[in-house]
Amino acid sequence: MRVLRAALAASLVAALAACGSSKPEASPLGMAVGSVAKATIGRVTARRAPAQAAPAPVTRADLEKFGVPILRAVIPVRSADALLTITDAKGGTLTWSTTDGTTFTQRDGVLIQTRGLGPDLMSAQAPSAAALRTDGGTHQRVYYFLGENDGTTRRSYDCTVTAAGTEEIEIFARAHKVEKFTETCARPQGSITNTFWFEGPVIRKSKQLASGGLGFIDFERVID
Amino acid sequence: MLHMPRRLLAALAVTTAVGGAPALAEMTRSLNVNGTTGLIDLPSGEAQDDAAFTFTTALLGPTTRATISFQFSERLSGSFRFQTWRDWDNVIPGDAKLTDRSFDLRYQILKESRYLPSLTIGLIDFTGEGLFSSEYIAATKGFGDRVKVTAGLGWGRLGTDGSIGQPFGDRPALAESDFGKPNVDQWFRGDAAPFAGVEVKLTDTWTFKGEYSSDAYLVEDGERGQIERNSPFNFGFEYQKGPNTRYGVYSLYGTEVGLVFHLILDPKNRATGGVMGAAPVAVKARPARASDPDAYDGGWVTQPDAGPLLRKNLAKRLAVDGIVIEDLAYTATTAQIRIRNNRIDAGAQAIGRTARALSHVMPASVETFEIVPVVNGIGASKVTIRRSDLEELEFAADNATLLRQRTTISDAGPLPANAIGGDGLYPRFQWSLKPAFRMTEPLKGDLGLRLSASYDIQPGLVLAGSIYGRVIGNVDRTGEPSDSVLQPVRTDSGRYAKYGDPALESLTLAWYARPAADIYSRVTVGYLERMHGGISGEVLWKPVDSQLALGLELNYTKQRDTDGGLGFDEYDYDVVTGYVSAYYDFGNGYVGQLDVGKYLAGDTGATVSIDRVFVNGWRVGAFATVTDVSAEDFGSGGFDKGIRFSVPLNWALGNQSKNSFGATLRPGTGDGGARVDVDGRLYDSIRDYHTDALDPEWGRVWR
Repeated sequence: MRVLRAALAASLVAALAACGSSKPEASPLGMAVGSVAKATIGRVTARRAPAQAAPAPVTRADLEKFGVPILRAVIPVRSADALLTITDAKGGTLTWSTTDGTTFTQRDGVLIQTRGLGPDLMSAQAPSAAALRTDGGTHQRVYYFLGENDGTTRRSYDCTVTAAGTEEIEIFARAHKVEKFTETCARPQGSITNTFWFEGPVIRKSKQLASGGLGFIDFERVID
Repeated sequence: MLHMPRRLLAALAVTTAVGGAPALAEMTRSLNVNGTTGLIDLPSGEAQDDAAFTFTTALLGPTTRATISFQFSERLSGSFRFQTWRDWDNVIPGDAKLTDRSFDLRYQILKESRYLPSLTIGLIDFTGEGLFSSEYIAATKGFGDRVKVTAGLGWGRLGTDGSIGQPFGDRPALAESDFGKPNVDQWFRGDAAPFAGVEVKLTDTWTFKGEYSSDAYLVEDGERGQIERNSPFNFGFEYQKGPNTRYGVYSLYGTEVGLVFHLILDPKNRATGGVMGAAPVAVKARPARASDPDAYDGGWVTQPDAGPLLRKNLAKRLAVDGIVIEDLAYTATTAQIRIRNNRIDAGAQAIGRTARALSHVMPASVETFEIVPVVNGIGASKVTIRRSDLEELEFAADNATLLRQRTTISDAGPLPANAIGGDGLYPRFQWSLKPAFRMTEPLKGDLGLRLSASYDIQPGLVLAGSIYGRVIGNVDRTGEPSDSVLQPVRTDSGRYAKYGDPALESLTLAWYARPAADIYSRVTVGYLERMHGGISGEVLWKPVDSQLALGLELNYTKQRDTDGGLGFDEYDYDVVTGYVSAYYDFGNGYVGQLDVGKYLAGDTGATVSIDRVFVNGWRVGAFATVTDVSAEDFGSGGFDKGIRFSVPLNWALGNQSKNSFGATLRPGTGDGGARVDVDGRLYDSIRDYHTDALDPEWGRVWR
């Protein structure tokens, strides 16, 4: 073990402390996101957060100043809480990004891809937003993850939508009157439930599965 | 040993045919102190998870065992063990210490099912000096999810206590001339004795193990007086810390205490759970042709500054991913970009990133993207992607499969005549000074510093060299001359280590080319490696979508002086070596190779090897070389054989880098079956961008 540890240490040293003619390459960080977003949106707290002092809480007024749409994403298994801005829009398909190069793509608010999280959701056959607020509606949902040995892992579910009443929720000090719908999806190995809070036809808040390794992500549309 | 690979292949065939038994409530398939699946000192009927790579160190009274094991397929696993007996001179005068290296193989005949136990047949130390040799058949059955019971029958060492007779006849003694060869004549011969054990899961992390051993420890107890074996019973506790480490402490044979540590790695899954690294930029959509027909006008091609400008913009976008443009050529409708992928571990992802960059930079009239990954200055393949497919499939369900169906991977073809070449790529000088680890045995190695430099003169032509100086380490540096009867082409390593520190490891001029479709070539001249210098030439035939590749290699080399300098006077030895090679990709990551030819010591023979290659860059394999050198002349080990592995650092760290850590381990080094160790052999560098390697990782094209 001592030697193996030495080997790993040596390789690490090699990776970290080597010197030579090639300069370190520019980090991809922040390339896609405007500097506007950078100023406030660095709230990807993640694991290193506890060591730092908590930043002053961001208020709705702070966010509105930028005049761009903002989505909040919380990934419990990563202890990550981030505010996202749009970096790509193709019709109703919006790609939202953190400043550190993680993206979440939603089609009318329904998550179809993630990138930069490790076990990413590479693509999905997902229902439309309209289908997700049809009480009693059924559909098939298929997730494609980047799985074992970098192969594509396919998970197919049969889903049923159930209306779960109306609620009043608060997002960054603004109250929204919403209708709650649950999408229960089953396959022989188990079932999962995605939850959507609709404000009219718009998904204001949701809890959606990203992948087996990442679990669920909570989204809140903060600024339209 | 030559027939071993055939057996491996047969085993693989069975594995693919029978896989997929229903999963039962499972306890960890734990390892024993010998680093193989089992109880404490004894094997069990179980197998590790497919592809598990484990490293075990055990301290058992006056004995140390260090073992690397690999679950080569679901049912077949192999182990390489390095064992040291101390107090070896307690009774018989001589060396105080004895070291021994051994190989094990085990095959799971039966997987556990509702009523039947798992059943494994195994060979321990089957090609060594026989000190640890034994064979067994062991069955294990779980009862509930907390208790497992194992029973088995052992021969050889495992048949030395409590024999029930000799079901398959006498066990002949192992002649010294047979050391290092498979001890076929002994297998399952002689006394057979039963053994048994139980494993109880106490909590999620703690396990109790107890066993009745049929190993009398005749050598250690009777002959050498190393330990006293007072009882056949062993028992102890194990603690599992996370998925990767396990510790054990045991009472052994009534008198000794045993300590063990296991490191358990899963090459299929990164320690970080997935590939980290920033998201790609979105594909840029072109305006609809109907709404903006002017955007699709191809007139831009005639603008003289278009090329350099496009190239510059592409270079800026690709630099983020460590991709360098070797060449760019275009017409109004097709762009061909030749890239050097310096950082991303998966070729498919580098191709996807390049296609995305092209979608941002190339004018709308360009519909076809041809991406040519370049390795050592030569195009390895050509990946042709339609831009409309990229736009259409970006957010489609199962977009990787759909894109692959519409993508063509073909021979790279010649460099287009209108290509705009590298910008500051040639000539280019680079150097680095890095700590470097050289591992020679499981517990032996050197940590030193390596100064490397390279000078890229033009595509495919590179001058490179390196100097290595040792800082600390425990490899043999006695400077004792080899007692080999053959030319000491390898066995003088102690002299090279002692007198050549620091040493010029290599200084070569290499020329790589692609003279015709599907044909690749290499010529390397200079100080090829630490011990030999000269000229090495190679030609490889490898169609992009072929599982088979054929190669031809011819070398003329002289043995270098041990001082690590420029001279060739010390040995006055020169030799022509050459090989005909066949490579075959069996699918699922199993790659085999057969080389036939003449080796460094002038011997002729053949090498068989099989490697399991993982998408993320992990590689584990075994090889064996048999030549016309007799076992006596070869020295310890009888013939050349060993295992090799390579672990990419990105697997452990989750980042994107192509650095790796690896080693080739042999039970004994002789001079027979040795090959000159030249950099840049063609097959492995080219294969990364051929369909057999790109298809399994194609999911990452959209990453």
